[in-house]
Amino acid sequence: MIGYYDPIKDSFSKDLGTPARLSENHVSLAIDGVEISVPEGTSVLRAAALADINIPKLCASDNLEAFGSCRLCAVQVEGKRGYPAACTTPVEAGMQVTTQNTKLARLRRNVMELYISDHPLDCLTCPANGDCELQDVAGAVGLREVRYGFEGENHLSAEKDNSNPYFSFDPSKCIVCSRCVRACEEVQGTFALTIDGRGFDSKVSPGQMEDFMDSECVSCGACVQACPTATLMEKSVVDQGVPEHSVITTCAYCGVGCSFKAEMKGDQLVRMVPYKGGDANHGHSCVKGRFAFGYATHQDRLTTPMIRDTIDQPWREVGWEEAIGFAAERLKATQAKYGRESIGGITSSRCTNEETYLVQKLIRAAFGNNNTDTCARVCHSPTGYGLKTTLGESAGTQTFDSVMKSDAIIVIGANPTDAHPVFASMMRKRLREGASLIVADPRHIDLLDTPHRSDAQHLPLRPGTNVALVNALAHVVVAEGLEDHDFIARRCDGTAYQTWRDFISESRHSPEAVESVTGVPAEAVRHAARTYAKAPNGAIYYGLGVTEHSQGSTMVMGIANLAMATGNIGREGVGVNPLRGQNNVQGSCDMGSFPHELPGYQHVGDASARGRFEERWGVTLDDEPGLRIPNMFDAAIEGTFKALYVQGEDIAQSDPNTQHVEAALTSLDCLIVQDIFLNETAKYAHVLLPGSSFLEKNGTFTNAERRINRVRKVMPPRAGKEDWEVTVDLARALGYPMEYRHPAEIMDEIAQLTPTFTGVSYDKLDRLGSLQWPCNAEHPEGTPTMHEFDFPIGLGRFAITEYVATEERANRRFPLLLTTGRILSQYNVGAQTRRTDNQVWHDEDILEMHPSDAEMRGIDDGDWLGITSRSGQTVLRARLSERMQPGVVYTTFHHPASGANVITTDSSDWATNCPEYKVTAVQVEKVSRPSAWQQRYDDFDREQRQFLDAAREPVAHGVSP
Amino acid sequence: MSHDQGQTLVHMVNQIAANLSGGRETAEAVEGVCAHLEKFWARSMKQRIVACLDEPDSGLEPLARQAVTRLAERQAAKAG
Repeated sequence: MIGYYDPIKDSFSKDLGTPARLSENHVSLAIDGVEISVPEGTSVLRAAALADINIPKLCASDNLEAFGSCRLCAVQVEGKRGYPAACTTPVEAGMQVTTQNTKLARLRRNVMELYISDHPLDCLTCPANGDCELQDVAGAVGLREVRYGFEGENHLSAEKDNSNPYFSFDPSKCIVCSRCVRACEEVQGTFALTIDGRGFDSKVSPGQMEDFMDSECVSCGACVQACPTATLMEKSVVDQGVPEHSVITTCAYCGVGCSFKAEMKGDQLVRMVPYKGGDANHGHSCVKGRFAFGYATHQDRLTTPMIRDTIDQPWREVGWEEAIGFAAERLKATQAKYGRESIGGITSSRCTNEETYLVQKLIRAAFGNNNTDTCARVCHSPTGYGLKTTLGESAGTQTFDSVMKSDAIIVIGANPTDAHPVFASMMRKRLREGASLIVADPRHIDLLDTPHRSDAQHLPLRPGTNVALVNALAHVVVAEGLEDHDFIARRCDGTAYQTWRDFISESRHSPEAVESVTGVPAEAVRHAARTYAKAPNGAIYYGLGVTEHSQGSTMVMGIANLAMATGNIGREGVGVNPLRGQNNVQGSCDMGSFPHELPGYQHVGDASARGRFEERWGVTLDDEPGLRIPNMFDAAIEGTFKALYVQGEDIAQSDPNTQHVEAALTSLDCLIVQDIFLNETAKYAHVLLPGSSFLEKNGTFTNAERRINRVRKVMPPRAGKEDWEVTVDLARALGYPMEYRHPAEIMDEIAQLTPTFTGVSYDKLDRLGSLQWPCNAEHPEGTPTMHEFDFPIGLGRFAITEYVATEERANRRFPLLLTTGRILSQYNVGAQTRRTDNQVWHDEDILEMHPSDAEMRGIDDGDWLGITSRSGQTVLRARLSERMQPGVVYTTFHHPASGANVITTDSSDWATNCPEYKVTAVQVEKVSRPSAWQQRYDDFDREQRQFLDAAREPVAHGVSP
Repeated sequence: MSHDQGQTLVHMVNQIAANLSGGRETAEAVEGVCAHLEKFWARSMKQRIVACLDEPDSGLEPLARQAVTRLAERQAAKAG
């Protein structure tokens, strides 16, 4: 109903009442004499809406199945008795429907009259005023009086529930249309809401008549969006009123890349409403994307550039020119003293494609070396290596929608309900429709508890044994004759396949042989392999539980082997799908952030590719790869790497073995940090350049399904510059001018130089909404499903995946294995979500452990625990949980003072140096005070904050003492 | 924990060799490890690991040593 103020009339701004039907058979009918033809199964309500005949409705919405409770959409159908509800009546050939006549008008007025007799008449002061479907329908049906009066039994004094920080629940305004209940079930899949009681007593109930916060509610907001009245309402709208314009943009949290309407009043963001036309999210969102945007205007935002000579000095606020000049001089001086390769930079997976592209261009062209890397190093670099080796392209193969055609879904080392919630909702929908689920994870994840799911299998493997497990799965496929021989013969390299087949057939890979390694019963592995291989469509989804291991790359190749062996590549419903952590991890990899690859994964040693960049950029480029992040740290400690430009990444918190990282950062002569907050890394910096949030700039993000989405500026940058403008300034100060007037021009350059992007432009993105690369002459509108006919390397290549046990294993000194992950309400290092009300769900990181491990150590829930590894020690509180298997403990790393990465080690993936966050051998014991590192952290943190505060305070004392 | 970069690199190349040796003939594995270093390692890392060949207790496993030896030859050819 907000749609009317959107100046661009699009097909998604209107609610058509019931969901689309996809039948190819069309049915013709006449509605009020207007002939229309629609797919079979479409409701009369939707058919009418498509003909711009708008039948009044309250309980219907086109993201929910028809319910038929409000009776407002009653119509008359020639030859039929009574007044059927248009929402629950499917179209029939030759139907003659009447939507408006005196009888129907009276009927609808009577219905509204009953509704309004039990509804407050405070419209003028109601937060939904101007955005209320009840009000609109009352107007549409011409309600003029309520003959029943308002004194009868009613719900007007029902109490409000304000427990959720982001929305209020005012049952006095509820019309019991069940849209919220159905949104929670059908859209979100949580089933937290129900209708309690019957008849007049019916009321919406979170859980069992609990507060929202005490119920199973995950605060996704689907109910708030579904509510046609002010019953469920964003508190921001209660406070500020209804927004006056909106801009479609892309969320800056996880790799799902949801499209949102940023609803504004002037330059104030009032609320984020997921956009129905968003190809990744189809109008759904999670608690982060919809509600946790307050960080963008948080008082901690850096708004002025700052510099200092050494990190034990206070900051000095300066203008942009001085800060950029200072940074450029330091970089030049460092190179003059220590050599061309002594400096480098880190691009951000949170920034736009255009910004990432510019930072790596700055490094390659203006720094004159290839010392560029990105946070994908610590998450999905093994995906790049593994998929490129086997399938020929460093990207997932499917769209998110593809899961709706999967019959068996394997989820390995991913926790979608927490880390990719909107996609998890879609997956849960498919599980309710009957797809089988196989979860390979040391923990029992929430996806296994999907309400109304069908078959679910859990393979609770020991951390670090992924490759042994995937080999066992493949062994069963081969040994039991479940291969897709036709696919293999047509699509895969025969020699590589035969070598692999001989390797995987060896009995040492059988589930029985590896049971003692993985801890998973052999029969369970066989059952899972059969389920996946025999399903018409088998799909694999994986996350950082696959990549963040010493054999991350091997595991990715093992997954690709399994998909090729079963022919599960190249159509909808199948595929190999990395679930990307950050909003633009895919994009930052695509844009040439890695030290060995130019944009589009073109190796720096490839003379013809390099030549095209040299010609366009007007410089000679180094043909040798540069340093990766961990190599930079090692070189810094050794004294050969002395300056670093970091855009939008917090390596001091996110990278493993914190004390090693701190030692590296303190070894630098010049650290330039560009960020929206004083993050942990910035505390070691010499130059602070204020960054711009996703709301303050134009650009594009690329999500986990290779989808390029537009990011649109809705408010001016707080510090005056978008991030790409800062990089341009720095390049100019280094004597390498870059001339761009708008990010669209940067994209044009990317399109010229990147074969998979040649068809991408802002014009086309605006026209089509989004594009999945490859987008070029062969695929002018993008490529939803990869590898349909061949692979970029021609034939798919099976890879040998020898299981090599990690050196990080439990022993007498460190008998437990620590694994790390995320939770729903916080995001990554928490810099954004910790500055929002999401804190109410998770304000500290907790160590989860199995009750038997706790009992052995005399540990109770809530005890302070010292967790020690060979890298360091930190202290967290305990939570006993049977989600864990005995011998395995778990924590998150959302809060810097937790020091989760003080204990993770520098053990890393053999091919890419992606850290092994998922396996650290630890000991846990009860303690009474924070660790030595935490005490040092607190002191350092306090000092650095004072340095910042001192710089920001106006000079009040006149003269210094 | 020691953070001598030479040791770190030796550890890395041993790890690469362990992962690229399975199911392959020695010659193929040596080529695989050498190609990996060429493709992914920075110039300074290559120089450093090549220098480790001359250290008596470098810790290089036999396959890793063969691969680094080949890398040294190829780097020399490229420079020359």
